[in-house]
Amino acid sequence: MATPNQPPDLDSVPEAIVDEESKGFPVVWLLPLVALLVGGWLFYKTMSEKGPEIRISFETAEGIEAGKTQIKFREVTVGKVDTVEISDDLKTVLLTATMEAGTDAYLTDTSRFWVVKPRVGAGGVTGLGTLLSGAYIAFEPNTTGKKQRNFVGLEKPPIISQDKEGTRFRLRTETLGSLSVGSPIYFRQFDIGEVTDYRLADDYSYVDVGIFVQSPYDEYVRERTQFWNAGGVSVSMDAAGVNVEMESLVAVLSGGIAFETLPEFRDSPAAREGTVFQLFKNRAASMERPITKVFTYALKFTGTVRGLSVGAPVEYRGIRVGTVKDIMLGEDPQHEGIVSPVVIIGIEPQRTVGYRDADDSAATRQDAEEMENSPQQRIQYLVRKGLRARLQTGSLVTGQLFVELDIFPDAEPATVIEGGLYPEIPTLPSSLQGMIANLNRILNKVEQSDLEGTLTNLNALMVSTNSLMSLLERDVPGLTKDLDATLQSANDTLETLEASASADGEIGNQLQDALREIGAAARSIRVMAEYLQRHPEAMLKGKSGNP
Amino acid sequence: MRARDVGLASCHTCGLLLHLPGSGHTHCPRCGSAMHFRKVNSISTTWAFLIAAMIAYLPANLYPVMTVVSFGKGQSDTIMSGVIYLFLHGDWPLALIVFVASVLVPLLKMLALAYLLISVQRRSHLRKQQRTRLYRIVELVGRWSMVDIFVVALLAALVNVGAIATIEPGVGAIAFTTVVVLTIFAATSFDPRLIWDQ
Repeated sequence: MATPNQPPDLDSVPEAIVDEESKGFPVVWLLPLVALLVGGWLFYKTMSEKGPEIRISFETAEGIEAGKTQIKFREVTVGKVDTVEISDDLKTVLLTATMEAGTDAYLTDTSRFWVVKPRVGAGGVTGLGTLLSGAYIAFEPNTTGKKQRNFVGLEKPPIISQDKEGTRFRLRTETLGSLSVGSPIYFRQFDIGEVTDYRLADDYSYVDVGIFVQSPYDEYVRERTQFWNAGGVSVSMDAAGVNVEMESLVAVLSGGIAFETLPEFRDSPAAREGTVFQLFKNRAASMERPITKVFTYALKFTGTVRGLSVGAPVEYRGIRVGTVKDIMLGEDPQHEGIVSPVVIIGIEPQRTVGYRDADDSAATRQDAEEMENSPQQRIQYLVRKGLRARLQTGSLVTGQLFVELDIFPDAEPATVIEGGLYPEIPTLPSSLQGMIANLNRILNKVEQSDLEGTLTNLNALMVSTNSLMSLLERDVPGLTKDLDATLQSANDTLETLEASASADGEIGNQLQDALREIGAAARSIRVMAEYLQRHPEAMLKGKSGNP
Repeated sequence: MRARDVGLASCHTCGLLLHLPGSGHTHCPRCGSAMHFRKVNSISTTWAFLIAAMIAYLPANLYPVMTVVSFGKGQSDTIMSGVIYLFLHGDWPLALIVFVASVLVPLLKMLALAYLLISVQRRSHLRKQQRTRLYRIVELVGRWSMVDIFVVALLAALVNVGAIATIEPGVGAIAFTTVVVLTIFAATSFDPRLIWDQ
């Protein structure tokens, strides 16, 4: 050991032991190699997993974030939005997005994109989940169609997803009613479809509504099926009374359409896609037989037509045969220069079907056919027989009137009046009107007679009768008593007479005496009665001495 | 004069002063550990680590380091995007720290090591003291880059509140760790005595 602070003794330093030669490959260079491989693999993986790049245009970028917003199909992420830009013409927003690998085949011109965010619509609230997770773009792939990379996004989610099967039809209606996109379609109250779109017709004369009926229910839509607006609550007040109809609570709130096929048309062929149907305003309207033949007549009324509305029924003995088409003012038939209501009606022979009797012949059938096709002759004949028109109260609740046609054999003879705008059927005042007229007449007659004089006389008679009655009432009991006594004594007398009739000739004298007595009594009664008649006050005061 | 000039070297393990023959591999007679004048293949090893670190630096910055999944919405961040995010949200001290530790330090470290290696290979005489100081700084400071990785690891482990918030580490974090570790190895395998050998 060398002691400190002494110069090193180089000779006493031990010798290191030599190893055997072994120069191995510098293993350390594997590291950059591995790093290179890993990096390269990562890069390759990223590149190969990158799917096609697409561009989508929307009207607004609401809810969309560059680099964050995802594109999903059935809630599975299939792409992501990379950038959000405004288009050159400042009208749309352009998104570039990268889809997952393998989606190439699904990007065709029939594929659709739309933004899913919370929405409130007729079908309910959708997209609430996006309040938490953020809006995303939904993707609906469709392999049919041309491949493309530039898309126009939908502003609203499509009503029907591509994979739902069914048929689309179109309906024509006068007003939209309470319909909106998504309103349900009912068949026997089953919700089996919805309204997809609606628009005004080009000439603004009707509304064109598109509907989608799910399969298999689209089989029930035949060529002669009737559609009607079942939404809301339908309240109608007419001559028949008040009518309230509603389909279901959902339909009340969101509107709806229902359809049904009349049994006689159930075998008609199934309607093809895109068939146009008429949408009636309610069920009753749709079930009415189609009216194609209308024969117009005019009716002139002199009274008021208040309570009669256009569309009110025209009935013959309770069966509807026509409709009131219009109400106008025209020349009063009875007073020159004065206007009066003129009601225009349409006779619709198709409303009722004729009954076939057992002895129906071909002639009768021909007759019925003629009635349907050209009833003018028939009506002329009937008018001659007494067919008249008059207004009647249909419903006391609503006060609505309707036109009644009936045969009145006692009516003044008349014919169909030609020459005006329409042929005219003669009219009668309504039964209510007639009753009022009669009452008027009675009242007039009464007014004309000397009622006052008669009444005064009657009054006087009453008074004297009254006083006589009261007199009699007082005196009769007294008189009766006297008469009674008299009769009693007469009775006794007669008995005595009878008793003494068996005795000797005293009877004759006694009889004479008795008869004299009776005569005297009767005389005195007579005198008394006469006296009383002259002096009734003698009852109370007694004889005053006057004769 | 260097110890090498007279053929002397001390054993790294037991400290025994020995005389080494001119060439060839030798080992200590007392403890048996390998003896050499300078770190074995210092330059090539350092280069290897450095190049590997440089290659790994690319995915470290391009791939996301951390993904925050909140209410079904995931948000991935690379180192730079994280820095920018912090900066934009007013947290610029934190942004600065992250930037320095995760971007500046590894980058400068790699550049410094490259410079040192090149300077040694070109047998430069210049600025030997500065270069040595540089090396010392590199060796000391290098480990602080791991701060970012520790943050990611801690967050990923702690923030696990189901759908409300979940943090997942990304590929970038692994790549970044690799970079830091490799630069540490690179620094360790560089023999600063080579600077003074010229």
